Amino acid sequence: MNLTALLLLASDQPGPIDNGNDFWFVPAATDYADTHDWVYSVVLWLSIFFFILIVGVMVKFAFDYRRRSNFEAAGHGPTHNVALETVWTVVPLLLSAGLFLVGIDTYADFKTAPANCYEVDATAQKWAWQFDHRNGASDSLVLKVPVGQPTKVTLRSNDVLHSFFIPAFRVKQDVVPGRYGSVWFTPREAGIYQGYCTEYCGTGHSKMNFYVQAIPADEFEDVIAQDARWIDDYSGDRLVWAGARLFSRCASCHSLKPKERMTGPSMWDLHANWGKTKKIEVDGKITDVTIDENYVLESIVAPWEKIAPTYLNQMPANFGQQLGAKELDALVRFVRELDQVVDTNGELRDEPVSTTN
Amino acid sequence: MATLTPADTHAHDDHHGDYITCSKGIMSWIITLDHKRIGVMYVIATLASFLLGGLFALGIRTELIAPGETIMDADTYNRFFTLHGAIMTFLVIIPAIPGALGNFVLPIMLGAKDVAFPRLNLMSFYLWVLGAGLTVYSMLQGGIDTGWTFYTPYSIEEGRQGVFWVGMGVFILGFSSIFTGLNFIVTVQRLRPPGMTWFKLPLFLWALYATAIIQVLATPVLGITMLLLAAERIMGIGIFDPALGGDPVLFQHFFWFYSHPAVYIMILPAMGIISELISVHCRREIFGYKMIAFSSVAIAFFSFLVWGHHMFTSGQSPLMNAIFSAITFSVAIPSAVKIFNWLLTMYKGSISFTTPMLYALSFLFIFAIGGLTGLPLAILSTDVQLHDTYFVVAHFHYVMMGSTLIAMIGGLHHWWPKITGRMYNERLGQIAALIVFIGFNLTFFTQFMLGTKGMPRRYHDYQTGLGWSAETTELFHTYHFISTIGSYVMAVGFFLTAFYLLQSLVNGRKAPANPWGGASLEWECSSPPPHHNFDETPTPEYCYNFDHWVWSEEEQGYVRRDAATS
Repeated sequence: MNLTALLLLASDQPGPIDNGNDFWFVPAATDYADTHDWVYSVVLWLSIFFFILIVGVMVKFAFDYRRRSNFEAAGHGPTHNVALETVWTVVPLLLSAGLFLVGIDTYADFKTAPANCYEVDATAQKWAWQFDHRNGASDSLVLKVPVGQPTKVTLRSNDVLHSFFIPAFRVKQDVVPGRYGSVWFTPREAGIYQGYCTEYCGTGHSKMNFYVQAIPADEFEDVIAQDARWIDDYSGDRLVWAGARLFSRCASCHSLKPKERMTGPSMWDLHANWGKTKKIEVDGKITDVTIDENYVLESIVAPWEKIAPTYLNQMPANFGQQLGAKELDALVRFVRELDQVVDTNGELRDEPVSTTN
Repeated sequence: MATLTPADTHAHDDHHGDYITCSKGIMSWIITLDHKRIGVMYVIATLASFLLGGLFALGIRTELIAPGETIMDADTYNRFFTLHGAIMTFLVIIPAIPGALGNFVLPIMLGAKDVAFPRLNLMSFYLWVLGAGLTVYSMLQGGIDTGWTFYTPYSIEEGRQGVFWVGMGVFILGFSSIFTGLNFIVTVQRLRPPGMTWFKLPLFLWALYATAIIQVLATPVLGITMLLLAAERIMGIGIFDPALGGDPVLFQHFFWFYSHPAVYIMILPAMGIISELISVHCRREIFGYKMIAFSSVAIAFFSFLVWGHHMFTSGQSPLMNAIFSAITFSVAIPSAVKIFNWLLTMYKGSISFTTPMLYALSFLFIFAIGGLTGLPLAILSTDVQLHDTYFVVAHFHYVMMGSTLIAMIGGLHHWWPKITGRMYNERLGQIAALIVFIGFNLTFFTQFMLGTKGMPRRYHDYQTGLGWSAETTELFHTYHFISTIGSYVMAVGFFLTAFYLLQSLVNGRKAPANPWGGASLEWECSSPPPHHNFDETPTPEYCYNFDHWVWSEEEQGYVRRDAATS
């Protein structure tokens, strides 16, 4: 299933019910999100009350006591009032204490994962996520989780700080290199939810996004099992479509559009020059290199060897190591036969129905 | 030149000349020891930095006006927001009020001839110039893209060696800040004239005093952090870098242990200015003098204990988060107390809607929002959702820009006649204040909605595609568009301000000694003040009793009641 199909699916799902905070937040998709929104509403209305009080009094005084003439005598009024000053110290103090306790209570819910969690690992690396299920299924675009059962995501980073954020679930956790982190959530309904990286991590920070797909519990196991051996469904001419799926983890740095410059070169441009000789930087020297299968393969497994001019040596060395031989083959085929899977605007075509699961 | 010659002492010791005309030539400014001239140089330097930081802000906002790449690529954008943040924080808001306005008015308001250590004061300024130059140069040179927070390990990766030099620049700026703070503490402690008791001090001086304590105590931590970074880099000791066994979260602790108190270095003097603006332009005794004075000290104290609230999602222990959350709420109390005191100062006042007063009213409106939106960030569960989104961006701009800078600009107008001896165009001032107020709220209020909806900060793009639905992009586009238009409106307001302030220097009406009817000591001096501020040691009265000053049509300003009747 490609991105377009995923988004179409998203629009077919019944949306979560508005809990009264949709002006502020994306619709709440977990019970915890409802609790969070309730806390926010309390603060919001308290703030609105105090804001109107402050600005109302300000405007009234500004109007009532405006200076009518320069010769007006200096104003005189009370300079202190113990009762009033006590009230406006003690009332905010009590309100603050109350808000603190409410916040601690809901924060404890957020921090305490239930016992029966579905466990999945998420690894952050500039600038993509990798979601690994315990059965070997793996994806870099979509984190699949069951509906109605708590999921615990264990977070790791391979390089710098990142942060794992799913607004619909109201959860966020920084991903710190050298430390494990975790978040948990229980989606109430099937659907697709957006996820972001929210700790600045460099060039591709704003492209380091993902989806969470909540799948009904009775289908979930089958879907994940299928995912673990998804590439078995692809062979022969259809292998190029497996490449298209795998490419999603490359898409935050490589465009499919002609001449579109991202962190790395456009794959369309590479495809358009297939079989031709290009000037490429090898060991700091500009050398003629033929764009072919071996060049693409080497660029995936040893990206530091040949650097396209004007680009930096930024591609992580370990991407290739995570891929099997068939997956690497699929990616090479994808670049070679790009015009079969991508239209001239660089958009992925729909995958032929017979090959989808 | 071998030694610093105090240019002012050997100059024409002209009792009739003011501090601007008493000596001439560029050298008489460059090596001046006069706190007023140093203050003016700070005003020019910080406003120039403000212009630079503002241009980067306009670049950021223009890039975000539409989804996709609008005017710059991701790397350029990342450098822009880093430069904007670092310039505005370290070169503008931290030094602007103490360095510029504080330097000019503190000794005069106190009734002293200068600060306690005039040479140290000049050195502070040149350390600022050196630090600012080094910071901006190495940021531009090295293409620094770490954000102004310089979080490790991103900031210590290969190829970002330039960050070290930026750190050195900030370190030098820190010394400038420490020296100014030290100078102010000693000046307020030791140079008060007879009769100037602590509770006769103008509230701006209480605020500067509290600020100075933070400057002296918190800034050294920045130096320690730099030293540790150097030790890690040079000796390979693992401190912050996980690859060497260090802990990147430790860097965040060090960073915020300085930078959180620094937030109060920014806001406290602004609050002090507001106390002056409201009481003088309402010509009414300040309500709750002691409460305001003590709340400044209370805020200074609490400012050291809340740094952990920047790190609620960093993975620090839940117990620590709970403690930091609780202490954070305690800052809300003195801040709320100040707001209520300012409001009650307007009660039964004689309120004149001069430009400084309009800025003070803007401050109350904006600071109310800035303060109240701090609540959901202090509450742990809501902070988790809002952390590192545009909600935080909006919140700190409401406090740092909408409150601190608005107060600074209000104060600049309030003391402009005193500093320059010229009146600016009041009507244009009022219009500009209104434009800035509208532009500011357009720019930043929309960012609260962006934040709650989940727009992360420091994002170059929000185009439909990976992770972005068309619906989300459309919604964010609307908010970003309004925000960008707001920033242009604000820019118009600021350029208009620059225009009429500069115009006033050319053909502004000559300012009376006391244009607003203020009763603190600086209004006793001529505008601009004489070189030594006071010919005789002044006898301080309670500076919030305005009865002694009455309007004189002839002077177009206020004169002492006894002088008017005689």
